[in-house]
Amino acid sequence: MTETMERRALTRDQLLSAYRMMRAIREFEERVHAEFATGEIPGFVHLYAGEEASAVGVCIHLDERDTIASTHRGHGHCIAKGVDIGQMMAEIYGRRTGACHGKGGSMHIADLSKGMLGANGIVGGGPPLICGTALAAKIKGTGGVSVAFFGDGGSNQGTTLESMNLACVWNLPAIFIAENNGYAESTASAWSVASDNIADRAAGFGMPGVIVDGFDFFAVQEAASEAIARARGGGGPTLIEMKFTRYFGHFEGDQQTYRGDEVARARAELDCLKRFAGRVVQTRELGQADLDAVDAQIAAVIDKAVDDAKAAPLPTEADLLTDVYVRY
Amino acid sequence: MGDAIVGIVANPLSGRDIRRLVTQASVFPTAEKANMIQRMLTALAAVDVGRVLLGTDLGGISAAVLRAVRRRQAMGRAGGPDRWPEVEFLDGQPIRQTAQDTVEAVRRMVTAGARVIVCLGGDGTARVAAAAVGEVPLLALSTGTNNVFPAVREATTAGLAAGLVATGAVPAGQVTERAKLLEVRAGDRAETALVDVAVCTERHVASRAVWDPATLTQLFCAFAEPDAIGLSAVLGQLSPVTRRDPHGVTARLAAGGPHQVLAPIGPGLVVPVGVGEIERMRPGPAYQVDAPAGVLAVDGEREVTFEPGDQPTVRLRADGPWCVNVPAVMEASARLGLLRRPLAASPSPQHDPRKPTA
Repeated sequence: MTETMERRALTRDQLLSAYRMMRAIREFEERVHAEFATGEIPGFVHLYAGEEASAVGVCIHLDERDTIASTHRGHGHCIAKGVDIGQMMAEIYGRRTGACHGKGGSMHIADLSKGMLGANGIVGGGPPLICGTALAAKIKGTGGVSVAFFGDGGSNQGTTLESMNLACVWNLPAIFIAENNGYAESTASAWSVASDNIADRAAGFGMPGVIVDGFDFFAVQEAASEAIARARGGGGPTLIEMKFTRYFGHFEGDQQTYRGDEVARARAELDCLKRFAGRVVQTRELGQADLDAVDAQIAAVIDKAVDDAKAAPLPTEADLLTDVYVRY
Repeated sequence: MGDAIVGIVANPLSGRDIRRLVTQASVFPTAEKANMIQRMLTALAAVDVGRVLLGTDLGGISAAVLRAVRRRQAMGRAGGPDRWPEVEFLDGQPIRQTAQDTVEAVRRMVTAGARVIVCLGGDGTARVAAAAVGEVPLLALSTGTNNVFPAVREATTAGLAAGLVATGAVPAGQVTERAKLLEVRAGDRAETALVDVAVCTERHVASRAVWDPATLTQLFCAFAEPDAIGLSAVLGQLSPVTRRDPHGVTARLAAGGPHQVLAPIGPGLVVPVGVGEIERMRPGPAYQVDAPAGVLAVDGEREVTFEPGDQPTVRLRADGPWCVNVPAVMEASARLGLLRRPLAASPSPQHDPRKPTA
């Protein structure tokens, strides 16, 4: 029998924390969506709204020993791993107070102090990174695990497949989270993923592969909890495929001519926040007043983050040559 | 080919849940499900089934079969292997990627006059298909996890059996048996199970699977076979009930119960289970669930949440689906000589005497 047999229900504090993070991601993304339309935000942004249960359901089981690698759609992973929301917003606005001093922008938010190895503009760029940190954790015996989030497009990259192979060969405490939102930019995964299910590929590497309803926080956290416990215990890597829909386009400004009405249906019937709230209120694990209080608190946090970001200074010429090299 | 119709529905999501992670349960990739359907088409053609209705999905199964059908047609025009039955894809309806897709597909097959409906999936898929087949015989093949109800059987033989029943070559009345059914009610919701219903102290459906016996308090089984896999195996070792017995069996589960049994409650999971009072379950009356709140797991999957006031009940019914008994069909076929052919009447494609040899 394994340690995974002894599962315990999430505590009230864990449930509140999960809701707070999912709500924070949603508010953050909805606000960036609105602010981007004003033209004030430089560069590109790719929004995570709709996918919150994935980042939060996984990261709620991680601690300071653990690292994650993200994607170009990285805001949700950053928030779930504890990156400061104010610093994130400032980074997106390109301000000196940003998480990377305003030099990275949306696609390069990182905070190594939080174990967040970075959003990543390179599709399939994250999985090799977590093989490194997972190997380090294994050699040092920290008990840490490493998680790579990647999309259906990333699942087809050689880097991702090589990383899965390496993680299995070295039996690394690595977890691969395939966030299959149906489209790699505008290319349907139903067309471009030859195995149809990304999880099916796990068997070829000899690791478990499971499919989870990515809109269902409870399903995600259960699978993630088992995979993380397995990795910590020396059981090796796992591939988890989340199936869901992103609420916005590939990037802000995407006309989305390639998809139908699935977003409206998802928002109405499948939404992770609505389902979470409905469940915990019904079971009386949390009250509606608890959730309302979180909503109000998060709205204020996001307002302040935007106001502070707009008021913060931009980097100057003097900042050009700082943070270019790292001394080990 | 004849005019008999067979329906085939395959669940793209069966065999993919968390049990692959927690207990090394078997893996059924999409490609294998599509291959099984193709092997079945070959068998159905061999026994003169003219038309096959196939459910559609977004998981890639029906798409793979469509590609295979087109390849086969092209090869047929070039003098290749024999044709398959006409395959009609039941598209045109929105695919919701839920169990409702299976229900809709099976209903359309019944309306279209399917004589046998084959379902590929696990216990969960068979349960959903069974609720929609009405009086049409069901042949459930395993591509899932627990697989107490669907048989682990080669699709080619299953295809022959399905075809022989569909064409009437073997009378359905002689080779189909009516399964039992467990009817679950909680508040205004109703659900059915073909094998077992477990009362679980978890609060959420979440990943559906049940693998921790400490969360179970009560178990109802339509049948409990000693060689079963899944929750019914608990009572299969203590108080076996066959599929043909008119009764079922129910028991309280508690760690300190008077009976302790080691049971394979899931693939890769042989655990000690404590069992309290065991009672024969009579068909008809509604048995009360003795828990204020929790989740009811039907055929091994958490499905129905209940809260105080819902007062769930479980009732054993005798009017489950008609199931095709594959060994009985093939025995009848042997007895009747249905697959015997005169030597000259079955040229193999490789040695077709009508074609000049190189």
